[in-house]
Amino acid sequence: MAEKIRLRGRCEYPGCVEAEALVAPRYLQGFTNVSPENGYTTERNHPLFKVPYTDKVLVFYSPRGSGGFLMYGFGKKPAAFVHTKSSPLTVGCALQARVPMMTDFEDDPLKYIETGDIVLVNADEGYIEITKKSDK
Amino acid sequence: MPPLPKLTDEEKRMLNGDEGVVKQKCMQYLVEMCQIAGAERLVDLDGTGDMHTPGLELSQHIVITIDELAEFAEQGGKFKIPTFANKSPFSEQPPIHGWENCNICAYKNPETRHDDPEFHKKAMHDEEFKILRKMGLITTHSCANYLTMSYLPSVGQHCSWFESSQMPYCNATLGARTNFDGTLATCLLGKAPYYDMHITENRYGTILIETDRLIQTDLEWDVYGFTVGEACDVEVPVVTGTTRPTTTQYQKFNSACSTGGATRMYHLPGITPEAPTIEHATGGRPFKKQIFIGENELRKTYEILNFHTTDNVDFVYLGCPHLNIVDLMILARKLEGKKCKVPLWIMTAPWLYNSARDLGYLEIFDKAGAHLMSGACLAAMGAVPEGVRNIAVDSAKQAYYITGCYPDDDYRLQVCYGSQDDCIDAALTGKWRGEWR
Repeated sequence: MAEKIRLRGRCEYPGCVEAEALVAPRYLQGFTNVSPENGYTTERNHPLFKVPYTDKVLVFYSPRGSGGFLMYGFGKKPAAFVHTKSSPLTVGCALQARVPMMTDFEDDPLKYIETGDIVLVNADEGYIEITKKSDK
Repeated sequence: MPPLPKLTDEEKRMLNGDEGVVKQKCMQYLVEMCQIAGAERLVDLDGTGDMHTPGLELSQHIVITIDELAEFAEQGGKFKIPTFANKSPFSEQPPIHGWENCNICAYKNPETRHDDPEFHKKAMHDEEFKILRKMGLITTHSCANYLTMSYLPSVGQHCSWFESSQMPYCNATLGARTNFDGTLATCLLGKAPYYDMHITENRYGTILIETDRLIQTDLEWDVYGFTVGEACDVEVPVVTGTTRPTTTQYQKFNSACSTGGATRMYHLPGITPEAPTIEHATGGRPFKKQIFIGENELRKTYEILNFHTTDNVDFVYLGCPHLNIVDLMILARKLEGKKCKVPLWIMTAPWLYNSARDLGYLEIFDKAGAHLMSGACLAAMGAVPEGVRNIAVDSAKQAYYITGCYPDDDYRLQVCYGSQDDCIDAALTGKWRGEWR
């Protein structure tokens, strides 16, 4: 069995959860460009257009646009959030979602995580652990 | 949870509930925000508040009841800082003026027609707003509150505003300091988590933006803004290559850069208050990188903002962000004596609606078949008028958000994006002839 990859980061919202990763290759945007009722992004031309994120570890660089990014924390929300850069938009989302959320990692998690990998988000102890899908 | 912020004795008393349940819940919310943001303390606000109304639900988890708020107001409770209400109240997002002709169902729910007097009355939530006004809330109801608040913060003042397009207006245009946190909690207590834009260090420019096209028209400012935002995201750009922006162009650039990216602060050297020179803008530090935005990049953004396969336009919308009074004056000049072929809706701030009426613009719009409204927004209402398939807009922000309301293949909304003149032409002819020139 291959070694798991562990990255230390800053806990924004505590908790510990393991789930499949969904990686956004571009910024995510809230307000009208997300549907919390359906649990997917509705931004036209986005690689994750209508791809469900519910109960996944949603991995992204950072959000852009409206404070309505917090709608990712409503309805059919992800199991956890892992992102490279924080901003007041991610803070607003964490206040609503109250699921494990981490940022400010020792290295960019986007370098390591691909969609389908299993990611343990241990925000309580300040790390994520990645099991590559090829090693499952 | 992450570490607790350092609280003053007064803040601890509030958190303990010694000053009542309303302040306690507000403080609980701010403490949680500090923990998530990594803020070590709260800052006392000395500027203004722009509050997302009504805001009794601070989050899904911390909710102030209307009875609690009524009791707080009855006992003399007030907002600690001058506080203005962001665009129209509650999730229904009713227009303040012009709702009678607004044939939109809020978020496509047939039970919520904006032109239904019963729905409108209910959607205005007078009971809550009476209490909030008693506490001092100034109900401007605009996404561009800086247009009518008549009481702007000065350079360096700590504020708590809401609305993505207002973040750079407060931070960059005015040189005051805000994060995206304008809520009942911050405005009522006059306190906000001390992080990000409240701290001088975080406001310095980190990326230099250069272009070879002189950015001077409203459309160019809008397209440039979206492109700069997309290139910089959370970084603070130092933006060169422009003329001195008008108020309209600030509105365009600020709304566009915080749609294409998360630009809550930027510098225009020699123009914005914290950037008399590039050295001031960066605090003397080297740039992390330099980004060139040339003709190809601007054209690409223009093409991204257009999303249509037909040039038939059946609806035109102007007023994102809400139009200022000069925009309205110019629009009235352009429409005087003309007749719209397809519906043209014009959105402004409620207090400017009254001015536009007094100045005779409303009558000109009416005669031209254009519909002046205030206080709302298509994207915020979550829909376009029934039957509309292809709209024309002159706002990068509106162009990029409105299609998110129609993600399904059986009704993909199309958007033509261009200059205000292109949109007026479309309103008069029903055809789109705009292009990036």
